[in-house]
Order: sequence, then structure tokens, then C-alpha cells
Amino acid sequence: MRRFILPLAFALIGLILFGQGAYIHAKALLAQVLLERAFAQSIATGHPVKPWRWADTWPVARIEVKRLHASAIALAGSSGQALAFGPGHVEETVDAGEPGIAVYSAHRDTHFRFLKDVTIGDEIDVTRSDGKIFRYRADRSAVVRFDQSGIDPLTNRYELVLSTCWPFDALTSGPERYLLHATMIQSDSSLSDSGS
Amino acid sequence: MTIYDACESSPQIRLSRRMRIVLFFLVEGVAALAIGFAALFVSFDPVWSAELPQQAVLRPSEARSGSLLFKTDDGYRDALRLGIDVDLTVSGPTVRARVTQIFRNPTKDWVEATYVYPLPAGGAVDTLKMVVGDRIVVGDIKERQQARAIYEQAKQNGQKAALTEQERPNIFTNSVANIGPGETVLVQIEYQELVQQNGNEFSLRVPMVVGPRYNPRPVVQSVDLRADGSGWGATTTDPVPDRDRIASEVLDPATNAPINPTNITVHLNAGFPLGEVKSHFHQVKIESPDSTTRVVKLAEGPVPADRDFELSWKPAAEKAPSVGLFREHVGNSDYLLAFVTPPSVEQAQQKALPREVIFVIDNSGSMGGTSIIQAKASLLYALGRLQPTDRFNVIRFDDTMDTLFPSPVAANSANIGNATSFVSAIQARGGTEMVPAMRAALSDTNHDDADHVRQVVFLTDGAIGNEQQLFETISALRGRSRIFMVGIGSAPNTYLMTRAAELGRGTFTHIGSVEQVDERMRDLFAKLENPAVTNLAAKFSEATADLTPSALPDVYRDESLVLAAKLDKLAGSVEIKGRIGDRPWSVTLPLANAAEGKGLSKLWARRKIADAEVARTTRQANPEDADKTILALALEHQLVTRLTSLVAVDKTPSRPEGEPLRLSELPLNLPAGWDFAKVFGERPRLPAAPTERRADAGDGKVQFAALKRSPVATQGPGTIQLPKTATDAELKMIAGVILLTVSLLLLVFNRRQTLSH
Repeated sequence: MRRFILPLAFALIGLILFGQGAYIHAKALLAQVLLERAFAQSIATGHPVKPWRWADTWPVARIEVKRLHASAIALAGSSGQALAFGPGHVEETVDAGEPGIAVYSAHRDTHFRFLKDVTIGDEIDVTRSDGKIFRYRADRSAVVRFDQSGIDPLTNRYELVLSTCWPFDALTSGPERYLLHATMIQSDSSLSDSGS
Repeated sequence: MTIYDACESSPQIRLSRRMRIVLFFLVEGVAALAIGFAALFVSFDPVWSAELPQQAVLRPSEARSGSLLFKTDDGYRDALRLGIDVDLTVSGPTVRARVTQIFRNPTKDWVEATYVYPLPAGGAVDTLKMVVGDRIVVGDIKERQQARAIYEQAKQNGQKAALTEQERPNIFTNSVANIGPGETVLVQIEYQELVQQNGNEFSLRVPMVVGPRYNPRPVVQSVDLRADGSGWGATTTDPVPDRDRIASEVLDPATNAPINPTNITVHLNAGFPLGEVKSHFHQVKIESPDSTTRVVKLAEGPVPADRDFELSWKPAAEKAPSVGLFREHVGNSDYLLAFVTPPSVEQAQQKALPREVIFVIDNSGSMGGTSIIQAKASLLYALGRLQPTDRFNVIRFDDTMDTLFPSPVAANSANIGNATSFVSAIQARGGTEMVPAMRAALSDTNHDDADHVRQVVFLTDGAIGNEQQLFETISALRGRSRIFMVGIGSAPNTYLMTRAAELGRGTFTHIGSVEQVDERMRDLFAKLENPAVTNLAAKFSEATADLTPSALPDVYRDESLVLAAKLDKLAGSVEIKGRIGDRPWSVTLPLANAAEGKGLSKLWARRKIADAEVARTTRQANPEDADKTILALALEHQLVTRLTSLVAVDKTPSRPEGEPLRLSELPLNLPAGWDFAKVFGERPRLPAAPTERRADAGDGKVQFAALKRSPVATQGPGTIQLPKTATDAELKMIAGVILLTVSLLLLVFNRRQTLSH
């Protein structure tokens, strides 16, 4: 019997670790489903809707890259709590569609996994919780330290930054961040005009 | 036979072995799923506590609170220069402050300057004057939007205009439009404030530095600084070292004149013979024209605005006057201001009342990271300070709630030990349902017990959206409980904290880092353990009084009670009653003997406005009514509030008649010896690519920000910090798979060995 103890212990630890890893992804996936629902409701009602009863945050925008068929619902705030469920709208930055820089951050291994496939020139659509859609075009990318982002929040152009951890395939977290910068090319009215 | 048997049995063995391996995988698969699923309900918060570095939030808000930003149409290298002159006149209990900001535009372009600056909370801003060349424009009080529209219109028309707006009750913004090349514009605001009294000592403080106590949100966001885009990008350099270098240059008085010079003069008329007069942080010259008057000036002329100015004075007599009563007649009404200090001798002999303390700790997910560590440390400290005669209870909440003891228990060592282990085990997770916790904390099971002071110490970051509900809960259920809010973390919701503390008749303590826990909690406990006077009430014998604050707060150790009232007639007396410890205490002040004071009506109005803001949030008054009250008070008393701003527009070079009259009564108090050439003339060029200037490396108030059309325009404090955006999901899954494989190999190996034997 003794000889089973070691492999069983290994198996148990392995299972727990695997379970935790799987849980992170499960949480990220499941949350997006709930968020999608809450976001649709937010647009319909015009009020922030919490995705689940005890949530600390609420959906504020949908970020979409049509070419990659990638989309994610972003949350208010960028605490670790919020980032587990979706991209976070970094505090102290403006809403998408407002003059200034809107910054959204998400985990490189869940919601912003698609970021490494976004190339310069790609169009990024951001839907706000009031239903307005703004189209941005990616025009620059950079790798910076988290505390030296160089992002100037006081600009009055219409800009967007998506940020995630760098390098993309690293297993541990580090101080470097990948920034994808985009500038608005179409605001809501023109987008709907061209659509009609 | 045996061979046959063996042959027959071996496929069975092989089959069962295969089955076992399949089963093993099946079981493991199911287990992995089950654990993964179970994990959905068990939070692994530490995994997620991706903290922002502490200063991420503090630094911008600190730095932004006293910033000068300026706009040009096509970007400029040179920053606008600013000088500040502060002239204070103390008349008995009130301070009249005149703050003159001198904006000089050394560039070749027309610019608009926006200056965000702190003032004492409770200061009533009532005057705005703008001096352009030799013209003086006096600002009018207008509804906020209207004022903004007037200002924008003037800006469009190319007229000079100034606008003073309130961002927070203690943060104001001055905007000045159309400062021409090489021009100098003076903007002067005036405010009325109360002298602080603490024991035997009177003091005033001029905030120059925005320290963490204000912890304002980034007000500058409303100020858009015009850059044309290319400011973003290649810059990854840390601007801080550069800033420090510039700061040290500024601070070297031997080689440079101060670059953000501030001059301060105080005319002190205390109303009683003065003893010691002391400036805490600045070298001053003090003249004494007579025993009750002092003139305080900076010893070495203008100083960089790098620290608060604090002046305190004591009476020549050993005991400070314990009562002060002042009146002012404005319009048809009399305004009264009363200071009452509970007798200090009695206080010294008084043993503190035993207390019943309910500790509430927020362990929601937003507290994850360092916040929960600070909160737990604070709470453990507090538990250690309890006396054996005290009673206590502990409540923790996220979206669930636990109350440690069914009812408050005596603070004996067994119970404290219990509570300590309870607190130590707390982890941050889940949502923030604050209202039920507050309700539980306020449910007073011993409400007939007047021997214990009931205190609720509430530790939270206040990260909730339903503040309204919380305020309603507090005002409905507070009873005799006092609520002491302890704001945890670098960016607690200060609005929630201050309001809640105000409604709960307690105080707000902010703990921004683990290092602050001891000091701040000690201060808090000094207040908690020494409630000098409780159950305060004021009654006027004859006059009908409109009193503020409407709910009298407890007066804690060394504090004095300050009342402001609007009276229909100055007759009879006011009786103030309360309890000092277990003894009733009362004092009667005859109104007729009140001394003449200045600006009391403004102070009264300012406090009434604060009361109305409270009533608005507690829905004691509906928002429209409250706004109407605020607006009426603000317009009547000419105060800048959330709803009103001061705006001054220089309409034409030839102003209409009537203005010169005002002009003549305008002593624009530039002190003698204020040498423009010296102030503004030195170092015409700033160091290369100055993006920000500070008077002090730490937290200077005055900064200059100039944005150039170059990619180097990184805004030090404005730079956004990015959160941690990697999980260890993959790492864990890979490690998990490796361990599973190893265990499988071991099992197979074991099986082989067993079989071979």
C-alpha cells in the first residue's frame, strides 16, 4: 500500500494544480457569457447591470476585432478581481469615444490572447454600454514597463490603448507590458451612416 | 494444466490491467473536472490579487491637485509661470484670506491657463478679481453652467476671462483665458475660514501641498491639455529622475530665485493678549504693534510653495478663553458664531467612559492585495487597545456576513484571543454588500445602557456604488452609535467615508499604507478613548435660530464645539448642554455680549450648504429642494459651490461706468518688495524638454506642465500605470499535467514490480 502513497500524492497535487489552472480559464470563459448577457441588458436599459449578484464590477464596453473574430466584454476597473472575468477599463482613463486615451487591460492568456494576432491597420470596434460603436485603427505597438507606460491621459485626440503582459508566451508574470495603440477613425454616427 | 491455467488467466490479467489504467484515467478526468468545478465556488483570490503598485493611484492624484496646465493652439516649449501671494487677516475667530495668483505667459502665443489648487476644507470662496494690465475685473457669482458658458463665450471672442469653479469642497480650479504673449494676468480669490482651536492653541493652515489627507480624485481630467497626438509612443523613459533634478535646482536658494514663489503675510488680531506665536514650517518675522496684534511675514521673502503654512498662537494667559461668542449683522439678520471648549480641568480628572465597540471589516474582493493586510493590521491593533471594561464585537462582510459574537462581549483576554484568530483568518473575496453589515453594526442591543459609549469602527475601501443606501441606513439607524470610518488602501472612496463619518457623528481616518497603521490608529484611539462631551444640544431662549450643524457632533479631546446660527434678533441666551463623562454639563451664553466678528454670515452659509449637501444625499430633502437651497444660499452669500462659480470677463478695454468705483476699493495686495523682474526674470529657458516642474521633490503644490509637439512629452504624474495582466493558469496546468504523468508512471512502475515478483 505504501508504494501507492507517493504516486497518489503526486496525482492529487497535479489534479489541484490542473484544477486551479482550468478554473482560471473556466472563470474567464463563464464570466464572459454572463457578461455578454449583462452587457446586452445594459445597452437595452441604459443602466449598468451587474453580471451576477455579488459582482464588484459591471460591463462597460465590448472590444471586437472583426478580422480575428475576437471579442471581449470589458469591465469597469482594472483590479485583479475584475481582470479575472474580462478586460478592465483602466481607472483614470476616459471612456471610448471621448477625447483622450481609453485604456483597456486584460490577461494575455485569456481575454487578450488575440492581441498578438492584431496587426497594424486592423480595425477595432468598441461598443459602449450606451450602445454607441466607435471604430479605431491600430497604428502602433510598443513594449513598456508597467509603471512607465508613456501613455499621456491628457491628449485630446480620440485614442485607444489595449494592454496586456509581455512576452505573450511567458509562463510567469513580469514587469513588461505590450501596448497596442489605435486612433479613432469612425465615431458612432458615421459608422451607422455607412452601415445603412 | 498449470500452463493452460496460466494461459487462460493471463489475458484476464492483461484485460483487468488495461481496465484499471482506463479507469484510472477516467477517474482522474472526472476528478479534474470536479475539482475545477468546485473551484468555481472556492475563490483563489491570491492568484488574482494582481496589485497595482501603491503609488499608481496616489501619485497622479497627489500630483494633480495643485497643477498649472496650459493650453496653446500649437504646443509650446516654455511653461507658464506662476507666483502666489497669500494675505491672511485673522479677526478673532475668523480668517479672511486673499490669494493672488500671478500668471505670466513668457511664450509668443496666446494661452489659456488652468490652475487646480487646494484650499482649506470649509473655506468659503466668495470673491474673484482679475487684473489685466491696469484694468480690474470683478467676478460675479453665477450658476455653474451659466458661468462656464459666459467664460467659453469670452474665450471665443478673444476677451480675457477668469473662472473659479469648485471641484471638491476643498479643491478649486481657476481658468484664465487669452493671456497674450508676454502678458501677466493676476487672479485673486478671497475666502473666509474659521480659526482652528485645539486646547489652548489657535491655529490656521494654508494648504500649499496636497498631502494624502485630501486624497482627491484626479481633478485634472476635466482639464484637457492640448497636444497633437504624437505625444504618445516611443517614450519609455522614467520622468521622475529628471523631475528630481529640476526640483533640486529650484530648491537651491543660493543660486536661484525660487521658481514658484509664494509670499505669505498674516495680520493677526486675536482679540486677546497674545502669548507665543509660532510658524511651524517657515521662518518668519513677527512684528508686535500691540499686545493683541501681530504681523507675521516670511523672514526671507517668497518661498517655494512646497509645504503647508501653519501658524499657531496662544493667549498670554495660562488658560485659553474657553468660550467665544461673535456676531455679525448682515441685511435683516444677525449671525452668531460660538466656540465652546469643555472645561479642561474637569476633563483631566474625568475617567473615560467604558466603550462598546463594534468593528466591521470589509473583506470583499476589491480589498484584495495590500488593502486587506492593512485592514487586518489595523483591526488587530484596535483589538489590542481595548480595555477590560470595554465591550466589543467583530463583523466581517463581503457578499456574505459573519458576526463573531451573538452580542457584544467583554474585552477579556479569551474573547480578544478569539477575535484575533477570527481576524487573522479573514481573506479577501466576493462582492461588497455594505448595507447589511452597517445595519448589523448599528443594531444596538443595549440601547438603554448610558454607561457605555457605543462606537462603530468601520474598515473599508468604500468600493461600492450604492452609497446612497448606506447613507440612508446610517441616518435611519444610527441611534446613539458613533461611526468612525477607516479608509483603507491607496484610493478609498473618500466621499463615502467623510459623509458616512459625518452622518455617523464620528471621524474619518485614512490609512494608505501598512506603515501608517500604527500612527493613524493611535490618533483614532486618542479620539475614541477620550470622548470629552457627548449628547450635545443647543437651545436658544428667545431668538429663533437657524442652527448649523443641525446634529451636534461629539467633541473629542482638545476639540472645541463650534456653532453657527442665523438669528432673527440678538436677544436672550443660548444654552449648550451635554455630558462630560458621567456628569451632565451645560453652559449658558448671553447673546447680547457677543463681540463683533467679520464674515460670519459666509461661514454660516457655507456650513448650511454643507448641511444641505448631506440632506440631499440622505434624501431628507429631495435633490431639487436641496439644490434650490444651496443655490439660494450661494447666490445670496456669493459663494462658490458645486452649483455656482465665479466668472470675470474683461468685456472691452473701456469698461462700463460703475466699475471704477470697485476699482478704487481694490487694494490688490502685492506686497512691497515683490519684484516682478526677480520673480519672473530668472532663467528664461527651462531645462531641455521640461514636461513638469515641481517646487519640491516630494509633493510640491505648484507644477507647470507644458506639452510640446514632440514625442518626449511624457507626463510624469499623468502616466498611466498598467495592471498586471498575466495569470499562472498555464503554468499551473502544465505543472499539473507533469505531476499527473509522473504519478501515472510511478503507478505503472509499481505494478510492473509487483507483477515481476
